[in-house]
Amino acid sequence: MTSLLEVRDLSKRFTSGGGPFRRARSMHAVNGVSFDLPRGRVIGVVGESGCGKSTLARLILRLIEPSAGTLRFEGDDLLAKTAREMRALRADMQMVFQDPYSAIDPRYTVARAVAEPFGIQGRVPSGSMTDEVAGLLEMVGLNPGLADSFPHQISGGQKQRVGIARALALRPSLLVLDEPTASLDVSVQAQIISLLEQLRDDLELTYLFISHDLSLVKYFCDEILVMYLGRVVEALPSTDAPARHPYTRTLMDSTFEPDPKLRRIIAPLEGEVPSPFDLPPGCAFADRCPQATALCRDETPPLATRGGHPVACHHPI
Amino acid sequence: MLQVRDLGVAFGAVQPLSGVSFSIEKGETLGIVGESGSGKSLTAMSVMGLLPLIGGRIKSGSIEFDGQDLTKIPEKDYRKLRGGRIGLITQNPMTSLDPLQKIGPQVDAVAELHLDMTATQARARTVEILGTLRIPEPALICERYPHQMSGGMKQRIVIAMALAADPDVLIADEPTTALDVTVQAQIIRLLDDLVKERDLALILITHDMSVVAQTCDKVVVMYAGRAIENGAVATIFDAPQHPYTQALIGCIPRGLSEGAKITGIPGTVPTVMNYPKGCPFHPRCDRAQDVCGTNQPAFVGRGGGATACHFPGAAA
Repeated sequence: MTSLLEVRDLSKRFTSGGGPFRRARSMHAVNGVSFDLPRGRVIGVVGESGCGKSTLARLILRLIEPSAGTLRFEGDDLLAKTAREMRALRADMQMVFQDPYSAIDPRYTVARAVAEPFGIQGRVPSGSMTDEVAGLLEMVGLNPGLADSFPHQISGGQKQRVGIARALALRPSLLVLDEPTASLDVSVQAQIISLLEQLRDDLELTYLFISHDLSLVKYFCDEILVMYLGRVVEALPSTDAPARHPYTRTLMDSTFEPDPKLRRIIAPLEGEVPSPFDLPPGCAFADRCPQATALCRDETPPLATRGGHPVACHHPI
Repeated sequence: MLQVRDLGVAFGAVQPLSGVSFSIEKGETLGIVGESGSGKSLTAMSVMGLLPLIGGRIKSGSIEFDGQDLTKIPEKDYRKLRGGRIGLITQNPMTSLDPLQKIGPQVDAVAELHLDMTATQARARTVEILGTLRIPEPALICERYPHQMSGGMKQRIVIAMALAADPDVLIADEPTTALDVTVQAQIIRLLDDLVKERDLALILITHDMSVVAQTCDKVVVMYAGRAIENGAVATIFDAPQHPYTQALIGCIPRGLSEGAKITGIPGTVPTVMNYPKGCPFHPRCDRAQDVCGTNQPAFVGRGGGATACHFPGAAA
């Protein structure tokens, strides 16, 4: 079976500054990322701020252009497509953004926001547009009576449902979800997550789910990619696979459980994610890693299958 | 140490906070937990005596600290307590520090003001406190500006400022919300150590039930400007009596341990302009009866805790 999405050695380099008195600095926001997303699976991408997870999401939809690598969607080479072809393809691959407040035009009614994709793609729904919009709103658990409301009249959770309805308007097969619940209260986050679960089953959707929240990713996803400073450091094939990369272990140890009986002893790991500009050679985690050796500081470990699944570490746990 | 009884806050005719009670002793960590708009930050502002700054006033209840009622003392006396015996750590370390001033003088000012120290004494104290917060090369850090530091490091500086006057009570308002998880864990560990080493009373305000489970001894659950349940942390998680507390715990994904499906609570958190009559949770509650829409349930004690619900008890 071919994968819905095939990502190979995808990289994005940004440069900053550069001028008469300043040397340009460059950073690899995404560095050699490869994975396969089979149809119907949910892959989670987890990492801290600055790890490149949102850049990865944008690269996959070609909202920004990669510096290197290949992208295949249903076997088609995405990077060979013209802008016009790409636009047509995006009907089949959509994104839900983190901030529902800025993802919807404040001057649009809910109905106009949900109908907008049809206009962009030059498509006409089989029935009337009013019925189509009402159907989409019902699908995401909104009262169709809200169709004439403006974004400022509805709550954050409702706005995120509008964002999802809009993304689903043209019945895509792939949804890239970039922190879709990060700005919501937990009770509303739980509503949105359970809606996404139901939609996946009803519409046979495939998700790429980007989040900083390991508990949520473990709950929601089938497989997990752990990113650190632009690289995938570990690819967990299932949510109960044991962490073999020290960074993944650190993330797990830093994630608390909602149960006082499961209190953990927090290891005194020091340091924070370093600046992604002009990284030294070697493993990017070496400076914070309790088991780093000279080898780690000299040579970047490749993502290689060791003990069951891919991990990029010279000394996996 | 600190006892809040039936606190109510008004802004003109609007009453965003009412019926909030809790107490805390030295060496204890009390969690105040709730979703946005539940009134948890307003509770912190009330205890700090900062309501006049935002146009609010205490309408009812008392805040007893060390034998005196803080709602009755003059501003002059409050100034000595605030930042002195009662310290505050705010959510956003980026806005709690003066961007134009070096770190050293900002922390020094606390000891100079509250402990009557000279500049030299205060700097020695600053360096010592930064050291205990595991900040590398504290003397060097004093010469840096806030923009030269990471978010976690800035939050440590804010904690240092709160500790500089040797407080008895520390109020931390969402101290880790703006931070990455690995840094959050470091800060939580640091606060835990401080409570033990300095016998502090820590009030931890958070929206995150997992953080509460990890750190607190006691919990107050707030909803729509009211305390709806309180008790020991084990009771709140193992045998919550209020349907909101039960639903809230059910909303948290248990990624690492096994847990049931999360479902969410239908509807949304009400805003202060449309707090429901009766029990504030009744429009979203599956246990609600007619009485819930008309009568505000009283806070009824039970064992070590208390619940404000007409139909308390374990989930059906």
